[in-house]
Amino acid sequence: MIDFDEVRQGFVPAHIYNDAEIFALERDRLFGQAWVFLAHESEIPAPGDYVVRRVLADSFIVARDEQGTVRVMFNMCLHKGMQVCRAELGNASHFRCPYHAWTYRNDGRLVGLPFHEEAYGGEDGFARPGQSLLPAPAMDTCNGLIFISLRPDPPALLDWLGEFAFYLNFYTRQSPGGIELRGPQRWRIKANWKIGAENFAGDSYHTPHTHASVVEIGLFREPKASKRKEGALYLAGPGSGTTYKLPPGGTFEGQLAYVGYPDSMIEVMAQTWTDGQRRLVEQDGFMVSAATLFPNLSLVHNWPVIDETGKVVPFISLRQWQPVSERETEVLSWFAVDAGAPEEFKRQSYQAYLMCFGSSGMFEQDDVENWVSITDMAGGSMARRLRLNSRMGLTSDDKPIKPPLAGFSGPGTAYQGFGEFNQRHWLSRWADYLEGNPR
Amino acid sequence: MSGRPLPYSDPRHQEAHQFLVEEAALLDAADYDGWLGLLTDDVEYLMPVRVTTARGAGFDSLADMAHFDENLYSLRKRVQRFATEHAWTEDPPSRTRHFVSNVRTFEVAEGAGGAGGRPPAGNAAADQDLLVESAVLLFRSRGDTREADLVSAGRTDLLRATQDGLRLARREITVDESVLRTQNLAVFL
Repeated sequence: MIDFDEVRQGFVPAHIYNDAEIFALERDRLFGQAWVFLAHESEIPAPGDYVVRRVLADSFIVARDEQGTVRVMFNMCLHKGMQVCRAELGNASHFRCPYHAWTYRNDGRLVGLPFHEEAYGGEDGFARPGQSLLPAPAMDTCNGLIFISLRPDPPALLDWLGEFAFYLNFYTRQSPGGIELRGPQRWRIKANWKIGAENFAGDSYHTPHTHASVVEIGLFREPKASKRKEGALYLAGPGSGTTYKLPPGGTFEGQLAYVGYPDSMIEVMAQTWTDGQRRLVEQDGFMVSAATLFPNLSLVHNWPVIDETGKVVPFISLRQWQPVSERETEVLSWFAVDAGAPEEFKRQSYQAYLMCFGSSGMFEQDDVENWVSITDMAGGSMARRLRLNSRMGLTSDDKPIKPPLAGFSGPGTAYQGFGEFNQRHWLSRWADYLEGNPR
Repeated sequence: MSGRPLPYSDPRHQEAHQFLVEEAALLDAADYDGWLGLLTDDVEYLMPVRVTTARGAGFDSLADMAHFDENLYSLRKRVQRFATEHAWTEDPPSRTRHFVSNVRTFEVAEGAGGAGGRPPAGNAAADQDLLVESAVLLFRSRGDTREADLVSAGRTDLLRATQDGLRLARREITVDESVLRTQNLAVFL
């Protein structure tokens, strides 16, 4: 039904952005197979803390048990299938099913079963030991980010992240203590989930136009086309992202101060980051901005002006494009900040986040308008006759217009200027999964 | 809210009610500069994220994450953005209707009225800060064929008495959904 090789080349059938059959394939072959982000350990710091998160239709309790171990459990009672936990978050030592009061400890073990003796004849009729809420088939963490896979034997998370881990560390490991997450804000948009994922993966080309308004009002000085096209696009392992070009000749400290980090944080970053990370900032002069880790976790790092004095403060956001249907997506948008940052910085960075991203963010507002409109157009008959062009950066014989950046300090491949290398990278992986070849 | 609301016949209640209705009219007419004029310089505009928690959890909103946590600078930037030619999400503009109801007005205890201090003497009705609760239902229609969005919320406002009449000094919006069903908050509540 789809020529996936054409997709890999950047010829994209428009209907994939609103097609129930494609969505069913994505559910089974992609979200049934890939590592998917669920939560961050900082959201459940204490024993008993839990959040409830989904992978499409499957609800999971992500809890820290009494021993401090993170558990991810399918939120469905073993008896009649009731949703065991119906809150979004909280703290509990046990989860008791509202239907027949089967009770589970916060590590998932079944410990309570009313009238066990009378109803089941005790352990003989229903042996409780070993019974527990279904654990996620696979679970692993990186920098406190909790991922699960519905495939029981996925590659180890760190192996799977591969070269992208280098870039993920810019966002989630500015100090050995890592980040803390706040939120998420959650809202539902009438847009296909792939559009946001692709956009954050590498669409530096949209920034000067879609986000012209935030430059005009002086909120963020960088997205002008003249600056944006100097940024590098990188693709690495399961992820890819965009960067901004920093002013020439800066030191490591100077570049991080330019985007608004206080000296105390810069000192820690200098000690925490690898030589390659430091060179990317100082020698290459690039600062990470938007990125996507396949399939549906995106990250963003921007540095807007937060007050009348012109003070520039950076922020980090993690966001997930949670598919609801082929035409609807739930956005979960977290504010992330280094756990060891000064309180004053955390407060200002939070302000910066709220102005730019999330449910009310001035960047995000215009993005979503575009994505809703694309999804609307993609659902009809004519969209089945249209191949969208995601060929930017390539000549007709598949050669890059400009060669990859030589001497780029990060792993993977990088290009400077506008191009859709990253979107094709994302779409190629999507094609692999939909053809039944998960990675 | 502690204490009893003012009787509906009280001129202070009537003035507060009229303030909210006039404010809604400005918002629905997209007169955002006019709307900014109703805010004090130290305005706080807050809309916490609501969450679903067990009864007895002791909280149903996030203490450290909001949809809006704004001051006059950030609200001005939002309004300035609408005035550019590139605020796509509101071009074409949404058709909005703010339905304001369930208005209850309370006296503010002495000294609880924020930084405004005492109002000038002799000004007509607006010589006292007021706490006002209201319900708002926002109807938002975008484009010709899309389903319209509804946002339901309660609001607790501190209206400060100034020489120019009542002004909004603080608003806390208690939205009634944990997952918003509108594409963004390029609107005010």
